[in-house]
Amino acid sequence: MNFNYLYRRLLFIFILFLGTSCHQNSLSRKGETVYKTNKQNWEKEIDLKGGEVFWSKTNISILESPIEFQTFGLDLSNTFGEFEIFWDGVLIGKNGNPGKESKSNLNGEMWRAYKIPIHLSQKGEHQLMLKRSLFHAPEYYGLNVFVNDYDYLLEFPLVYTAFMYIFAGGFLLASLYFFFLFLGNKSEKPILIFSISCFLFFALILIEFIRTYISIHYSQHQIRMEVISYLTFFIAILVPVYFSLQFPFPKRKIILVIYSTFLTYVFYRNHLSYDETSYNMALTMWFFSFAIAMYAVYKKHKGSFIVLLALLVCAFINNIAYFDTSLFAGFGVIVLGMLYMLSIKAKEQRLTYEDSLVQSTRLKLELLKKSIQPHFLMNTLTSLIDWVEEAPEKGVLFIEALAEEFDVLNQVENETLIPIAQEIKLCKSHISIMKFRKEIDYIWEDEGINENIEQLIPPAVIHTLLENSITHCLPSDENQLRFKLIVFTSKKTQEYTFLTFGTIRNQQKSTSDGTGFKYIKARLIESYGEDWTFTSEATNEGWKNTIKIQK
Amino acid sequence: MNILIIEDEIRIAKRVERMTKEFFLNTLQKITSLQSLAEGLEYIKNNDLDLVLLDLNLNGENGFDVLQETASGSFHTIIISANKSEALKAFEFGVLDFVPKPFNKERIELAFNRIVKKEEVGTENLQFLAVKKRGGIHLLNIDEVNYIKGAGVYTEIFLTNGEKELHDKSLEKLSQLLPKSFERIHKSYLVKTTEIKEIIVKTGSQYAVELQNGEILPVGRTKYKALKEKIFK
Repeated sequence: MNFNYLYRRLLFIFILFLGTSCHQNSLSRKGETVYKTNKQNWEKEIDLKGGEVFWSKTNISILESPIEFQTFGLDLSNTFGEFEIFWDGVLIGKNGNPGKESKSNLNGEMWRAYKIPIHLSQKGEHQLMLKRSLFHAPEYYGLNVFVNDYDYLLEFPLVYTAFMYIFAGGFLLASLYFFFLFLGNKSEKPILIFSISCFLFFALILIEFIRTYISIHYSQHQIRMEVISYLTFFIAILVPVYFSLQFPFPKRKIILVIYSTFLTYVFYRNHLSYDETSYNMALTMWFFSFAIAMYAVYKKHKGSFIVLLALLVCAFINNIAYFDTSLFAGFGVIVLGMLYMLSIKAKEQRLTYEDSLVQSTRLKLELLKKSIQPHFLMNTLTSLIDWVEEAPEKGVLFIEALAEEFDVLNQVENETLIPIAQEIKLCKSHISIMKFRKEIDYIWEDEGINENIEQLIPPAVIHTLLENSITHCLPSDENQLRFKLIVFTSKKTQEYTFLTFGTIRNQQKSTSDGTGFKYIKARLIESYGEDWTFTSEATNEGWKNTIKIQK
Repeated sequence: MNILIIEDEIRIAKRVERMTKEFFLNTLQKITSLQSLAEGLEYIKNNDLDLVLLDLNLNGENGFDVLQETASGSFHTIIISANKSEALKAFEFGVLDFVPKPFNKERIELAFNRIVKKEEVGTENLQFLAVKKRGGIHLLNIDEVNYIKGAGVYTEIFLTNGEKELHDKSLEKLSQLLPKSFERIHKSYLVKTTEIKEIIVKTGSQYAVELQNGEILPVGRTKYKALKEKIFK
């Protein structure tokens, strides 16, 4: 392969992506076309009923003669009807059976090139006449014709289609991959929308270029165009919905409904001008997406700047490229922007997940620390030594109570939620220990515990409240401190009220920022996210803590 | 002896009380046990004390605020705490001893012996002298102290900037707490040895030191030898 050839290939591909319009008239110039029916003479416009034979006459100048062994071809793509082609009076091709359409099956196709005999393709004026009938779409009698190298006319659509299908394959893979990702986590709507958008885009390219290898009769052309415009419509809906999920804005639903309504109007307004409708829908989508991206940049959302940039690139492509290319390349860039957003969100989720792991480990350690932190352990051991020295039998009971608390703590250390009965066991063992240490008569009461239904709570939450109460409340004159846990379970909520009946030592001192409350809140977030409330307040009788969990 | 125990763990408070009684026997005039910082501070304000036994973590409150208050008092403070990590900081404020929990009789008696036998703490950790000033507590960095003069039951602290502060502790008690860089040169003077410029020997076995700032302080006859050894070592 020599470099010249390679260079020409590259240039060819480049031109291919910039658009297909610039090469069309390179070899010929088309004159005016006039039409004639049995009833009318040569006119620029005619009135057709459908099915009748009519003639068209077009002068075409070939701008340069073919070089040796080169064949010129006539491209009649996008010309409706069945026809016979006469080039300088010679029949050079046939597309269906003009005039016999109603009696025969569908014959002929819309995208085809016809060979021009070498001796009739010299530089100069030539005449193209078509004997034609338009049974299915009499209003589309206009003619689209140009001359080019015959090999090129055959090769170009295939190469173009091949490249576009590679492009489409990428979207199909992305669609399947993200669909499977979605199946793994059904709460991730943006992933589903992205997957569907990719699939629609794949389908759009598939249908657009199906004409290259499947013969489409002019009467079927409309079906293909309908499919394409519907695909474009749904893409134009989904892309802004996707961006609105990634970059939330106020009154989202209402704005999206207004947008969809407007898009539907654009869709039906001039529906049969398929290309124009598609373009207008794409334009509507672009403006709306751009507004969302601008708002997101203003709100400093992560990744919003890249999306805005993608939309600007899309606008730039639209400016320099031919319609089809601009639509596909533009969509492609937008999809890349969407993909970038997904990658950013995935990274955020991974970081959140890693954080939650660290947080869980930290909470577990905090739970374990409860039993070994010096204030608890050393005070307990000092009291224990004293009991052992002064009253060994009681000392043994103290050791048993200590063993019980350690035992329950060991059982729950790896759990994020435990039955309330187990939590109560933990509290009671703590109370036994504190009775030996403080020589106060601690009394525990509870109500609403039902072993037959699920009543769960993160470990050591009530225990922490109990510790706080023991620390901050004075016993009564009878040297008593009474606690009461009220458990209330309904279908939608789980409620725990922990009451302490005593006098608060220091009314001013707030414990709400203490490590104990931080632990409780972190545990509730770990298991219930945002679906809980925790209040802590002084009452006439002492102190009241309420934890309410939405199931 | 008039002793106050501030401890919120009843069982431990009883233990401390029992051991204190067993140690001081009939020298003990009064022993009081309180459970909260507020009560303790109130008691300190209204009573003459010789010793406070203080737990640093009381009902979830940090005892260091009280420590400043007690350290400025005329009495000695002994900390009894579960948090060994706080020991160093406690010594910086000028406590006589830090007894970590759990403790036995021997350990607490070791602390009491420092009071009875006037033993020096022998620690280099003291960083601040807490003095009462205009109603509040002011922390003097001991690097700023030149010398200390005994004035009956309290002391006068002379600073490098020429100012003078009063401390409620006796010279006796302060000499137990201050690091080795301070030397008792006279029954009424404690001097930072690095501030001594020279020893002046006068006729008739009379001694004095001249400080870097030119001040001249007397040296006790019995103290001269030890001082000389320390300076010329």
